[in-house]
Amino acid sequence: MTETFLQNLINGALTGCIYALIALGLSLIFGVMNVVNFAHGDFVMLSMYLTFWIGVWAGMDAFITPLITFPALFLIGLLAYNALIDRTLRQKYVTQIAVTVGLMTFLRALAQLIWKAQPRALPYSLIQGSIQIGPYTILASRLVSAVVSVLAIAGVYLFLSRTWAGRAIRAASDDLDAASLLGIPYRQTYALAFGLGSALTAIAGGLLMTFQQVDPTMGVRFGLLSWCVLAMAGLGSIPGLLISGIIVGAAEAIGMSFWDPRARSLIVYLLFILVLWLRPRGLFGRK
Amino acid sequence: MSAPILQVSQLTKRFGNLVALNGVSLEIREGEIFSIIGPNGAGKTTLFFNIIGLQKPDAGRVLFKGTDITGKSPHKICHLGITCTFQVPRAFANMTVEETVRVGAYKRYQGREMSQKVDEVLRICELEEYRHQRCSDMGLAHLRRVELARALATEPVLLLLDESGAGLNPSELTGLMDILHRLNEEMHITLCIVEHVMQMVMSLAQRIVVLDHGEIIAEGSPQEISTHPRVIEAYLGKRVVC
Ligand SMILES: Nc1ncnc2c1ncn2[C@@H]1O[C@H](COP(=O)(O)OP(=O)(O)O)[C@@H](O)[C@H]1O
Ligand SMILES: [Mg+2]
Repeated sequence: MTETFLQNLINGALTGCIYALIALGLSLIFGVMNVVNFAHGDFVMLSMYLTFWIGVWAGMDAFITPLITFPALFLIGLLAYNALIDRTLRQKYVTQIAVTVGLMTFLRALAQLIWKAQPRALPYSLIQGSIQIGPYTILASRLVSAVVSVLAIAGVYLFLSRTWAGRAIRAASDDLDAASLLGIPYRQTYALAFGLGSALTAIAGGLLMTFQQVDPTMGVRFGLLSWCVLAMAGLGSIPGLLISGIIVGAAEAIGMSFWDPRARSLIVYLLFILVLWLRPRGLFGRK
Repeated sequence: MSAPILQVSQLTKRFGNLVALNGVSLEIREGEIFSIIGPNGAGKTTLFFNIIGLQKPDAGRVLFKGTDITGKSPHKICHLGITCTFQVPRAFANMTVEETVRVGAYKRYQGREMSQKVDEVLRICELEEYRHQRCSDMGLAHLRRVELARALATEPVLLLLDESGAGLNPSELTGLMDILHRLNEEMHITLCIVEHVMQMVMSLAQRIVVLDHGEIIAEGSPQEISTHPRVIEAYLGKRVVC
């Protein structure tokens, strides 16, 4: 009983690091330009399919594919920003929602068209094996995924706190008018934040493909997951995002094992509601 | 008399039925300290916002060194050399003082030169000891200096200051006035100050315009303004400001 619990806690916490990475992308987009991007989860799905493609065609390991998918998703993000999002910034909130929900539907339909409805998975990853600690088994692929996620999150943290472009993003997310008076162009800054937010799903997509399959409807799950993590963390705290990701991942894994595997999204959803109810600003949020 | 650096002609801005600016024309000359005064709601902040590009005027033109900048974005206007501070400080809450100033300096500098610029600006604004403090932890007087510092870091030719003396105690006010004097005399920055603190206007400004209900009702030197009948009636008479 305790053993199963702890085993699931470990697995869930490791997966939760990937969730935090996905939520970080969402947080960049929402925090900077206040756009509720319903398509974010479908960017993860798209990344997973691209990883699958590259894995099959080029025989590249899923862990390595972000070298290609990261720039690809960055460009897709830029394109989505310039073609769609930029035009809705000064529109009503409903219009923004309609546009991102539209993008979500479009991506899902596209995936169904290209990859059909059946789930796809890569045969195996270079990273195999597991580590045994007492009665607990830690899969190497999960462990490496968690480590890569944490490194990517740390990279974004350094980017935001040390570089000109990162500071510009933070300034614009804090006060767009004040930032523009200091010479920061809002359009390039928003495009960069959207591109980077989307590109982070490429890393997550690659990591996820090392141990799970992808189907065209997965976007909803990742969308919900990332909103839950973000709501729990609140805006503006990257370490908080990581902790929240781990909590959500662990809750999901424990719930699935002790309740019902099919309740997966239900557990996340309940957690989401609970957070909105008890701590609308999140556990670590500043605003 | 030096050449005009900023020419505003017939600037009009409406908010629905309210005419916030009604055909405002004025000229700011290179190197001077110019002041705009007027009662609350006269349209001073609106005038700044329409010059700097945060709002687009309904009619009229703004020329900076002879080029039309009407309706350009604030970041482009900043690159040309005009920036502005807010009446209520709007510091970047999640940044330190030094970072905030860096954001302003990046536009023209990189690497070591930028660090030098940041140090210089922090020294001018007497913020060196607060450089690692978060903006969200600072009081009003210091926040105003942070706003001033980050604006200075962009190396403006013309700096618009919106009530930067409001809410300061006498010693803080003297400190601010010293800084503004130095900016003007040593760094040759043209200043345009909107101010309610008459002591500051009278001792700093070389020329003053008085705005009331979106229109300019008087223009002149501090002496002329303080004795102008319409000013006394519209402004000083209604509300004693000292
Ligand atoms: N964004 C806005 N929308 C509607 N009315 C505004 C807006 N900004 C200012 N006003 C109105 O325009 C007038 C001038 O305001 P403002 O420029 O802030 O005056 P001042 O800075 O001289 O106190 C006021 O009557 C104010 O209520
Ligand atoms: Mg004002």
